[in-house]
Amino acid sequence: MHEWSLALSLVQTLDRWALERGVQIRRVVLSVPSPAQLDVSILTEAFDALKRESRLEGARLDVKVRSPRYRCRACGYEFGQEEVDAQIGRLMGQYGEEYPLHLIPELLPTFVKCPRCGSHDIEAELSIKVDEVETA
Amino acid sequence: MRPLLEIARERLRRRRVVAVMSGKGGVGKSVVAALAALARPGSALVDLDLEGMSAPRLFGLSGRLHEVGKEGIEPLEAGGVKVFSLGGIVGDRYVVLPGYGQAGAVEALLAFAKLGDSDPVVVDMPPGMGEELLALGRVADFLPVLVATPSRASYGVVKHLAEYLAEMGKRPAAVVLNMAYVDCGGSRIYPFGRGEDARRLAESVGAPVHEAPIDPSLEDYVGRIHEYRGPVADVVRRMVEGL
Ligand SMILES: Nc1ncnc2c1ncn2[C@@H]1O[C@H](COP(=O)(O)OP(=O)(O)O)[C@@H](O)[C@H]1O
Ligand SMILES: [Mg+2]
Ligand SMILES: [Zn+2]
Repeated sequence: MHEWSLALSLVQTLDRWALERGVQIRRVVLSVPSPAQLDVSILTEAFDALKRESRLEGARLDVKVRSPRYRCRACGYEFGQEEVDAQIGRLMGQYGEEYPLHLIPELLPTFVKCPRCGSHDIEAELSIKVDEVETA
Repeated sequence: MRPLLEIARERLRRRRVVAVMSGKGGVGKSVVAALAALARPGSALVDLDLEGMSAPRLFGLSGRLHEVGKEGIEPLEAGGVKVFSLGGIVGDRYVVLPGYGQAGAVEALLAFAKLGDSDPVVVDMPPGMGEELLALGRVADFLPVLVATPSRASYGVVKHLAEYLAEMGKRPAAVVLNMAYVDCGGSRIYPFGRGEDARRLAESVGAPVHEAPIDPSLEDYVGRIHEYRGPVADVVRRMVEGL
């Protein structure tokens, strides 16, 4: 369900942005980190429902789900999403619907440990970002 | 573009944001923030002490999770206050975060909190001058309320915070001198001194000082702070009225 509040924030932000510049928005590329486990089809469905009567009316949302690269600041080990997946899976099982990284992916270091040394001191690019906006 | 940062800014733009801060821990920030929110019906309380999460404990909301709906994070409610806390996202477990994680948490909490028509938004700040303070500064033009105790240990930290705020062009709206005295059958005893340093500091920035007593009964209200009607609440209410 959080996909809807994210889509709402996105539409409201970009609508205001477009209004200030006097443009219409044609396409938005949203980049989300894979551990957020956002459902892309719900996100686009919500976006399409919420964009009506805004400067995004004719806009298409493309969602890029990116797999972060991780670096442990304690031991220096660098690793990919595949080495984190098992921990993420357990976390999803534990929280179910209330999976916290769904809402705030940046909380990942609280829940995930370095696969080599066990430290929570993990660095990664985990934010939800607008990568591109095409206007007309 | 960071859409959450933008939307958090937008959501707070037309509200008064009262940030209860100190630099120092254990001086009563969370108690003052909770009582400040309770003093004004229609307030929201946003807990930005990400690792401490005292606000839900004070209101007896620990372990309760926020519902997340189509329009964002639903508040936990107690005593007419809408409470938002990371504790309502992670439940009963520790939070450990590097700076970028704290930044993301502050921005997301403020972006998604369903504040409704809450005004003011009272923010319970963590000790220290770390990422939460910077992140709040990115999001909102807040009104600082400083909490100190008469101890010189507290003064030094609060002074640094006030200097930083001054450089940022912010003036504390009030200074709460907490745990200042004990009421002994009508006469006031000041076990830690009068807090002259903190008073001078407040005077130098033109902020009123509100002196709150040590009230041992406060401890009985941890978990139901919304039922507390004692002298600390009176002081905080006057402080809020003067903002
Ligand atoms: N005026 C007061 N009288 C008695 N106890 C107080 C008073 N103010 C705060 N306390 C107690 O002191 C402790 C620290 O308060 P808290 O608000 O958590 O501080 P902070 O948020 O600054 O770390 C808590 O146990 C609280 O109940
Ligand atoms: Mg506190
Ligand atoms: Zn490591």
